[in-house]
Amino acid sequence: MQRRIRRRYAAERRFRVLGAGAVILSAAFLGFLLFTMVAQGWRGFTTTELALPIDLHAAGFHVERARLNTPAADLALASAGLEDAVENAATSAFGPDGATLIAPSAWTVLRAAVKRDPAILERRTVVRVPASTAFDRALAGEGTPAMKATVARLQRAGMVVRGFNWTFLSESDSTDPVAVGIWGALKGSLLTMAITFLIAFPVGVLSAIYLEEYAPKNRWTDLIEVSINNLAAVPSIIFGLLGLAVFLGTWEIGGRVFGPMLPRSAPLVGGVTLALMIMPVIVIASRNAIKGVPPSIRDAALGIGASPIQVVFHHVLPLAMPGILTGTIIGMARALGETAPLLLIGMRAFIVTPPDGVTDPATVLPVQIFLWSDEVSRGFVEKTSAAILVLLAVLLAMNGLAIYLRNKFETRW
Amino acid sequence: MLGRLALIASATLALCACDGNATREIRVVGSSTVYPFTTAVAEAFVNARSGRTAPVIESIGSGAGLRRFCEGVGAQFPDIANASRRMTRNEYDRCQANKVGPIEEIVIGLDGVALAESNQGPKLQLSKRDIYRALAANPGGRPNQARTWRDVNPALPAIPILVMGPPSTSGTRDAFVELMLAPGCLEADPEAEALRASADPAQFDARCHRIRDDGPYVDKGENDNLIVQGLAQNPNALGIFGYSYLEENQSRLHGVPIGGVAPSYGTIADGRYPGARPLYLYVKTRHLKAVPGLKDFLLLYANLWGPTGPLVKRGLIAAPETMRATMTDRIHRQIPLDPADLK
Repeated sequence: MQRRIRRRYAAERRFRVLGAGAVILSAAFLGFLLFTMVAQGWRGFTTTELALPIDLHAAGFHVERARLNTPAADLALASAGLEDAVENAATSAFGPDGATLIAPSAWTVLRAAVKRDPAILERRTVVRVPASTAFDRALAGEGTPAMKATVARLQRAGMVVRGFNWTFLSESDSTDPVAVGIWGALKGSLLTMAITFLIAFPVGVLSAIYLEEYAPKNRWTDLIEVSINNLAAVPSIIFGLLGLAVFLGTWEIGGRVFGPMLPRSAPLVGGVTLALMIMPVIVIASRNAIKGVPPSIRDAALGIGASPIQVVFHHVLPLAMPGILTGTIIGMARALGETAPLLLIGMRAFIVTPPDGVTDPATVLPVQIFLWSDEVSRGFVEKTSAAILVLLAVLLAMNGLAIYLRNKFETRW
Repeated sequence: MLGRLALIASATLALCACDGNATREIRVVGSSTVYPFTTAVAEAFVNARSGRTAPVIESIGSGAGLRRFCEGVGAQFPDIANASRRMTRNEYDRCQANKVGPIEEIVIGLDGVALAESNQGPKLQLSKRDIYRALAANPGGRPNQARTWRDVNPALPAIPILVMGPPSTSGTRDAFVELMLAPGCLEADPEAEALRASADPAQFDARCHRIRDDGPYVDKGENDNLIVQGLAQNPNALGIFGYSYLEENQSRLHGVPIGGVAPSYGTIADGRYPGARPLYLYVKTRHLKAVPGLKDFLLLYANLWGPTGPLVKRGLIAAPETMRATMTDRIHRQIPLDPADLK
């Protein structure tokens, strides 16, 4: 008797230790991931700028004022040699290798400044331009000794300015790590998610309602249920192949070619493909939520004369909503982190401008991370981690919303 | 109610999708080696005049890129294919079967396939013959038994052979095989010349083109940064990748001299280092009229590919001056590719 009790206590302790161990292990993995990402990524949110004194008038740079207010202003400034003028100013301000210290895109900063305030053309002024990747790497402690010496010299002269990298949050992809931004990919992700939600949510919820409340229970509905459960487990790459074949494929029917239904690389085709992928998840979650509404609610509503559709839309659906929304948001979070199907439908592209609408070419956050991780330049390492932090923040916000909605609308019986 | 509204909204969205092709952006697909140069030009193209539609560049590999390029003409097909090898006769015929019409072939410059090791490495000095004996699957027709570099050549140190390189789908690996392994085979194996001339190309292939898969050659996937990281962690290993990666990581890696010549801009440009290959753009002539800005894009490319231009700073090796002039002329006069030149 005593021995059996001791054994039961021992089993209890073993189980507790194992459970706590599992939690600690997963927390340690998560902590390690977060720690490495933050340690590598925080510099991605900072920028190094150089205070560049420039006197365009004395440099003999000349542009007709009248052209600055026209759409041809960019062309006028470029053909007047603004790029060379900026490089010359850098050489005279920072020394013989000055042109290698500023980013190749530095002249576009000055171009924007001139368009804002043409008076810059006439007087000496100081503009803050982004430093080159080599300079930024040297500041981070990895670079040639010559570059490190230059960095120290300019820091003593007070010409190096560090600050928060707004460019990273407002720009799109670039080949130069100091000029890249995440906004293009984030906007692409948001547009794709909007399309996914608009298609997957109504279709998924309506089919769940039909299957739970109206469909007769027979072999056909069993078959449908098994198929939906199967679809939820199908690898995402297969949905990518499906999207490629159906939405971007061409068919020849009776001698006429029917061409791709949707534009390649656009959030529209990405959203539709991801909607197909997460629809089974939404159907399953919604059916479980609808099943969880007590039959007494339906009976009472029917008893006071409500029609079946009134029962569903006035009583069952509102009560099932927290469960449905939680399932939907978890599905959406999966879609947000999805890469494989999007690679196939052309969303792994280099695009310098953010998309203006759902039919413009775009890329999404996880694909952007994938593209940056493959870049040659060393500066992209920290940008990749910074992009991962942005993705984690968006995921955290979505899951937080799921918890909030569940707590807000949850009813206990 | 909510569901019904959303359904209507999604239906309307699906309807507006049809006018997506009104003014189309430039579309480029293909090689991951050419990708960094084309993206740099695309960025300059948009920077030169704000408000221009940004070109869309996909990196899917030379073979897949040329396949998509050859699927047809029209708005849904790419305008330009990036390729790190020349188009084959088969691919050209496929293009013509799909009524693509004339194609312009433009060489943008050279790329070097480099062998490199960590700065803490053993400072190996190799020859093409050593590389062949160390990495071929069947050197001299027998399975490769070499485990250390000394097994290959008594003058080399007795450290294990470990080479990290790209997978068999990669153009870089094709170039490595063609430029280093096969010439090493012809040098090392007296029978190879006869095999090459014989009627059965499979035998030559098995002896001179196949890389061993029993451990010493490690396939690191398409991500060249993984090879760079692997070299930093394992000083005795060698890596195979495009020259631009070596240049970018000069502080951690150095090139392995082959036949006494180390990879550098100069030695690759004048052909002394064995790993130089041309990089190509293929452009559909019919699209030049239909896609706005396509010709400007090519001319901008020509402006930037010179020896002092920004593409060279990114690791491109500029083509000789006469070739650059020929290529610029091809863009101006839209001279199409002659299929008789292709293999």
